[in-house]
Amino acid sequence: MEERYYDLVFIVRPATPEDEIKKILTVIENTCAEKGAKIEKTEHWGTRKLAYRVAKHREGIYVHQEIRTNHGELITELERRLRVQDNVIKYQTVRLDEDLKRQKKLTLKREKRAARRPRRTTPAPAPAAAAPAAPEQAAATS
Amino acid sequence: MAEEQKQASAPGGAPRREGGSGGHGGHGPGGGHGGPRREGGPGGGGPGGPGGRPRGKRQYFRKKKVCKFCVEKMDFIDYKRADILSQFVQERGKILPRRMTGVCARHQRWLGVAIKRARNIALLPFAGSASGTQAPRVVVPGAPAVHVAPVVPAAVAPVAAAPVAAVESPKA
Repeated sequence: MEERYYDLVFIVRPATPEDEIKKILTVIENTCAEKGAKIEKTEHWGTRKLAYRVAKHREGIYVHQEIRTNHGELITELERRLRVQDNVIKYQTVRLDEDLKRQKKLTLKREKRAARRPRRTTPAPAPAAAAPAAPEQAAATS
Repeated sequence: MAEEQKQASAPGGAPRREGGSGGHGGHGPGGGHGGPRREGGPGGGGPGGPGGRPRGKRQYFRKKKVCKFCVEKMDFIDYKRADILSQFVQERGKILPRRMTGVCARHQRWLGVAIKRARNIALLPFAGSASGTQAPRVVVPGAPAVHVAPVVPAAVAPVAAAPVAAVESPKA
């Protein structure tokens, strides 16, 4: 199967001690290791205000991870384990590789167009534009 | 004369608010945002301004709105950037229409997806939910006018209201 890229964000209760968060992270790591997935990035956003109440909390500690895997079942397994954790009040996994692929394509396209454009347009107006610009700059500096 | 000027100047501030809240319908809490946004930039100017008066083509010179994402050449809208997304959402979490923000069709499509993802993970509020971090302010959802009312009279008619209060308080 094609390689997939996932985004995982989960929120833990604001009162959770660091060790507990680490435990959750190791659980995720182990699950990923079992399925041969790789955690590309782990980010701790710290305590943030929630936009609405979740499990009677108005704040939560956000943790964000990016995971690369070949097996989609990993995500169901991950979600199952996160659901079991009492300290995790919310989690979300989003498949990103298709979006990223589209982004790459568009960026490439834009770069190509940008590379093509100057050849056609700049030779003629560039000297003309450069000439008046220079005196202005000189005036501005003086 | 002085009174007339005062009266003229005082309502000058008020109708703006009224126009803003009326045009948007329940954009009451956003009224505070309307002011600075309008002066702010092309992205923020949209939501406050055009909602009020679409007619009067000649009276108002409307700045041409440009898609913010096109300007910044973003090919991907990240749902994790709540700071960016919140610019395209009303105070209560409604997604702003394109005609107000000037976002191009393609980016609006992506934006919608990103906002919905952000909502799921509590980065942005759901439009319907009155609860949340701003609960004390939004307790009465149906009556933004009531909330605004105590503020506006004070601003509009200081001449009328203030003296009464001033007279009453010493007596009491």
